[in-house]
Amino acid sequence: MPTDPAAALPKNFLRPCLLLLLREDPAHGYDLLERVQSLGFEGSDPGGLYRALRALEKEKLVRSVWEPSQNGPDRRIYEITRAGMEELHRSAEAIAAGQDALASFLSRYQEFVALPQPSRSTTGRETASR
Amino acid sequence: MSELEALQVREEVLQAMYWMSAEGLAERPAAAELAGFLAVPAQILGPFLVRFAEEGYLEQEGGRFRLTPKGVELGKRSFADEFAELTRPTHGECDEDCWCHSSPEEAARCLEDRARAH
Repeated sequence: MPTDPAAALPKNFLRPCLLLLLREDPAHGYDLLERVQSLGFEGSDPGGLYRALRALEKEKLVRSVWEPSQNGPDRRIYEITRAGMEELHRSAEAIAAGQDALASFLSRYQEFVALPQPSRSTTGRETASR
Repeated sequence: MSELEALQVREEVLQAMYWMSAEGLAERPAAAELAGFLAVPAQILGPFLVRFAEEGYLEQEGGRFRLTPKGVELGKRSFADEFAELTRPTHGECDEDCWCHSSPEEAARCLEDRARAH
């Protein structure tokens, strides 16, 4: 049975990922949906993204404003707040701490069984800087 | 369903449908798609959608729902109202996220900008 990379991601990993993407650039929902794939969310889940953005906005970690459109309905453009940047930094510290434990686990497991090397994927910055 | 519950659900549904439409994700979602989007059971959401169609906020066609002009207007307005406090500067000046809190130089520049604006 093939493994799902998203299943190995930390719980609520979408939140720091969205904060990181918005730290890089303010963005619309659809843009975030595309860019978040570079962080391990390979399947598209617009509902999950929408609910996560609403929760982040209610917690004042992001804010959004209407951006007028010539071709259709106005869209919300999201940006990170100061509180969001602080939350992002706390999350990054927690992820860094967890990374050591995971590296130790993998190193000890691979004394018994070699694991396939993960394939390299594009970074968010490459996607964002288009 | 109580009237208050119906009002809350109506706002949430119209906001979500407006967002989906604006992002180009779905113009005419089916009840099941909308239920998945909002993470609610389709059998709970279905009767609400039928009611909102009867009230003129949605058009129902072939099991799919589309916002009417009335639904578009309320969806957009209620979305903005819900987060208005987060986007509006407080006390008529800068808000707590203003970059002016980063350094004394930036604070001075912000103060000058605000003085010019008044």
